[in-house]
Amino acid sequence: MRPGRVGRVGVIGHPVAKTAVVAKAVTPGPAPVAKAAVVGAAVTPGRRRRRI
Amino acid sequence: MTQTSLDRLGPVDYAVVEFPAGASSFTGEMTNELVALVESGIIRLIDVMILTKDDDGSIEAIELSDVPELGKLEALEAELAELLAADDVVHLAAAMDPGSTAGVLIWENLWAAPFASAARRSGGQLIADGRIPIQAIIASIEADELVTEGV
Repeated sequence: MRPGRVGRVGVIGHPVAKTAVVAKAVTPGPAPVAKAAVVGAAVTPGRRRRRI
Repeated sequence: MTQTSLDRLGPVDYAVVEFPAGASSFTGEMTNELVALVESGIIRLIDVMILTKDDDGSIEAIELSDVPELGKLEALEAELAELLAADDVVHLAAAMDPGSTAGVLIWENLWAAPFASAARRSGGQLIADGRIPIQAIIASIEADELVTEGV
């Protein structure tokens, strides 16, 4: 680490918590590919989710 | 480096990409994509560090300039602003698992800068921002499905 980084005021401010790993969140279940497709469809432009 | 006016500064984000022990497979693909983002003017790379966390939790921070044979990253390295402080390294490494290596990236979202400037000139103030995790979208969709199925 460069000396210039030591003793300076930081920009992060607090310890960072680990986020859930996306690959692991999508992988479980019988049809991970289908689940990923559903997520993709949900964020497709012009596509609105409706409750039946 | 070209000095960036505060008025025209875009939102600055960071990411910590962890590579668990033995799981990394560097083919240059990440470098190519990063260089493409910079060259297309979508982002400006502000700082990059490589962190390693030993099994005992001790942290080592490596500057990008200390990496031999940077290849395409060499030009980007010359433009870095060295924003992160030593305290930031400790804070960011808190998210890492022991035995892992992580790349830390800080970047300015150049694509958002004109809109952010326009919003400021219009009297707008940024009062909240954030990222929606994919997991939250999945959970939301699954909750909808449960309602639809009447569970």
